[in-house]
Amino acid sequence: MQSQSRLPANPSRTGAKGFGSLIKWREKMIVCVAVVGHQNNPLYVQSFTDADDALKLHHIVHCSLDVVDERVNNPKKSGPTLNETFLGMLYPTENYKVYGYLTNTKVKFVLVTTDLDVRDADVRNFFRRFHAAYVDAVSNPFHVPGKKITSKTFAERVSNIVKSFGLSSAG
Amino acid sequence: MGREVSESCVESLLTEIVSSYCNGFYANKPELAVRRIEAIGFQVGHQLCERYTMDRPRFSDHLEAIKFICKDFWSELFKKQIDNLKTNHRGTFVLQDNKFRWLSRMSTDPSLPTPSSIQDPAAMAENKAAEAIGMHLYFPCGIIRGALSNLGIPCAISADISNLPACSFVVRIKA
Repeated sequence: MQSQSRLPANPSRTGAKGFGSLIKWREKMIVCVAVVGHQNNPLYVQSFTDADDALKLHHIVHCSLDVVDERVNNPKKSGPTLNETFLGMLYPTENYKVYGYLTNTKVKFVLVTTDLDVRDADVRNFFRRFHAAYVDAVSNPFHVPGKKITSKTFAERVSNIVKSFGLSSAG
Repeated sequence: MGREVSESCVESLLTEIVSSYCNGFYANKPELAVRRIEAIGFQVGHQLCERYTMDRPRFSDHLEAIKFICKDFWSELFKKQIDNLKTNHRGTFVLQDNKFRWLSRMSTDPSLPTPSSIQDPAAMAENKAAEAIGMHLYFPCGIIRGALSNLGIPCAISADISNLPACSFVVRIKA
């Protein structure tokens, strides 16, 4: 059912080759990333929009946690992707798509993007790099497990990863 | 990115941790020393586990997680796997390492017999040595506990030494 919602987006992409490509470029962005601990406690929530919609994005992330739980507890739904860390698209809203990732240590990563025809490989790649950044952040001996991640280095790395989202394979 | 750590440094550090906690900070409170050493191991295991499970699918059950500890985790730490894994299928696992790296360079007086009875003084001395070696095993115990608890498996770990470089870790998973 997910592929159906993607189908109409594809022609528009090819049609946007001309003057639309610049707009497409701006649209292809991540508006929010979040790290949620194993007790569903927020460890890191960062939005990347100019507008003051942090609360709304927070809400979207919050809603996605139920979907993560559902995916994990009913594994037959995911079929062949059993126990994979990447959970795929959790749910679409009218403006956003929400992707999820669950690590072995029950930490959830949530990605909210405005891009409507984002490629799976891009998201996977994003999560892989994000996970690496997360691991480095929590391996800091001064980081207290289960507490919010306050590391500036982590924030910087995350914003770099977010900026380069979709660039490597799209270019 | 793979940064490596000198093995001899880690071994010296472990020896130094044990000796400063047991003879320095908590010289007359061995239980407290044990807890502190175990806690350090816990944090190390907790963080290492995060890193080493990065590129693998999630574990579906406890056995799979224990197998991960025995194979991949142990290889990363000690360049070898656990030699023998036993389980009673009721939440107890025995991980046996026939040549535990952190004990491979420790020695006791070989002329002393293995502790069969505690009556004779020689066995007492052996017991003392076993106790001292045991102190060095709280750190790896903490590592295992940290790794497993980060995987969502709360457990208690104990270690025992049979004959020196070999040792076994008993994992009891809390229901």
